[in-house]
Amino acid sequence: MKRQLALICFALGSARRRAGRSFALGFALALVTFALSAVLFLTEALRREFRLAVATLPDLTVQQLAAGRPALIAEQEQAAIAAIPGVIAARPRVWGYYFVSSLSGNFTVVGVDTDDGAVRRDLALVSMNGRLPSSNVSGEVVMGAAAAAFFGLEPGDAITLPVGRAEKRLQLVGVFRSEVGLWTADVLLMSEADAREFLHVPPGYCTDLAVHLSTPDEATVVARKIADRLPGARIVDRQLMARTYDLTFDTRGGLLGAMLLPALVAFLVLVWDRLTGVGTGERREIGVLKAVGWQTGDVLLARSWENAAIAFQGAAVGIVGAYLYVFGARAPGLAEVLMGWSTLYPALRLTPAVEGGQMLVLLCLAVIPFVVAGLVPAWRVATQDPHGLLRGTV
Amino acid sequence: MIPFRLTDRRASSRPARARTFKFRQLVGLLLMVASLWLMGWDAAHRRSGREAHTASIRAVVRLLGTADLALSSSSRWLRHPSITEPGAAFADGPAILDNDPAGAALGLPREVLAGFSAEPDVPPLMRERR
Repeated sequence: MKRQLALICFALGSARRRAGRSFALGFALALVTFALSAVLFLTEALRREFRLAVATLPDLTVQQLAAGRPALIAEQEQAAIAAIPGVIAARPRVWGYYFVSSLSGNFTVVGVDTDDGAVRRDLALVSMNGRLPSSNVSGEVVMGAAAAAFFGLEPGDAITLPVGRAEKRLQLVGVFRSEVGLWTADVLLMSEADAREFLHVPPGYCTDLAVHLSTPDEATVVARKIADRLPGARIVDRQLMARTYDLTFDTRGGLLGAMLLPALVAFLVLVWDRLTGVGTGERREIGVLKAVGWQTGDVLLARSWENAAIAFQGAAVGIVGAYLYVFGARAPGLAEVLMGWSTLYPALRLTPAVEGGQMLVLLCLAVIPFVVAGLVPAWRVATQDPHGLLRGTV
Repeated sequence: MIPFRLTDRRASSRPARARTFKFRQLVGLLLMVASLWLMGWDAAHRRSGREAHTASIRAVVRLLGTADLALSSSSRWLRHPSITEPGAAFADGPAILDNDPAGAALGLPREVLAGFSAEPDVPPLMRERR
């Protein structure tokens, strides 16, 4: 232990003697680690948010296809699906999109049964600054915070929006809480009757059917039975939805990671160039150490400690910096790239999802290649004749 | 006259400076370890805080019927990638620019798109040969 401490002290002294080189390498490593960590932090955090929510989804979602695209489905199909063994409930849902040209984007319009006790309990849990929409009064709406801010509305305010050739007056009665902002930023939630009017969904039809099963593992079997009864339907399985999301973020994160590859390669070239070129001073230093009795192993150990100290500090600065950038500053710049182009961003309050093990792997990925790259040239010099090294003839 | 100084003040102060530097370096390393530990602690604290909101998240998913994150409202395909026309990034306008940064280069694996449909497997193509 004492010997290792002495070697670490010597290694730190060596790093001081080559302060410029040490700083340049540490800084480059910090930059590369920062970029890769930020992508990892952001991707994992978004994926975690989706996973928190996925358990509540219906087991199956049944959509009608027309001309290869989702179309309205007749509500009467609900009875056929509910009769299948294992189906607890098949609920018609009315939801859709409302395009606003000045925003160049869509709002998500969701209709709910505002008389339903369970719906009112859920609404009371997730909305604030107002009251719940009433089924007796037309046009009452709960909005996501980003949507309300876009329209410039406070609870109690009203706005009239064009719906086809007519107009619809909406009164904001509540805003969704910030903790569910990732799901509700662009949502306009209203009574089912208002949603039908807003989205032009005729009575007897709905957007899709949400199917809940007694045994979720039987989803594939029930999906096949539904497909037999409704040949033109598309059945979306909850597990497949989760898998799609995972793959979407894998793809986006992977693509960003791939974009960072040139920076990583440039860094590796820099490391190789800096560490393989053992300078005259370093050769003399190794010569002196060998002359005063150091073994080759001691020289290599001291060199490893020196490189490990530089790499660890650089990587740690990069990782901590990325953490502050993503979870403190909310990833300006990177978030927009990862999310895609939009004009209605949710307030990004993410929760870290990367665990200690992954952090350790990230640290090792930065430190180990750095240490190994410096070992070979040091070994080549350390095995030379000390006199030759001191005289500068080898 | 021998150009040699027995006492070099700068040389005598070097070991002290080196010791200070090593001390600073060690403190720097310890600070790095401490900041990584602090980061882990903060992450665990934030996670436990988020767990308290699980009931709200589940309630909002029950209300909306979908767990898709409202990250991008620019097209339906980006808003609800799990249930809105998977793969049809161009449905919102003819020759529209694909806003999904990944979609510009890479698509979803085919088995995912195939898996979205629970329809019976499509029989192999019947080729007509002369």
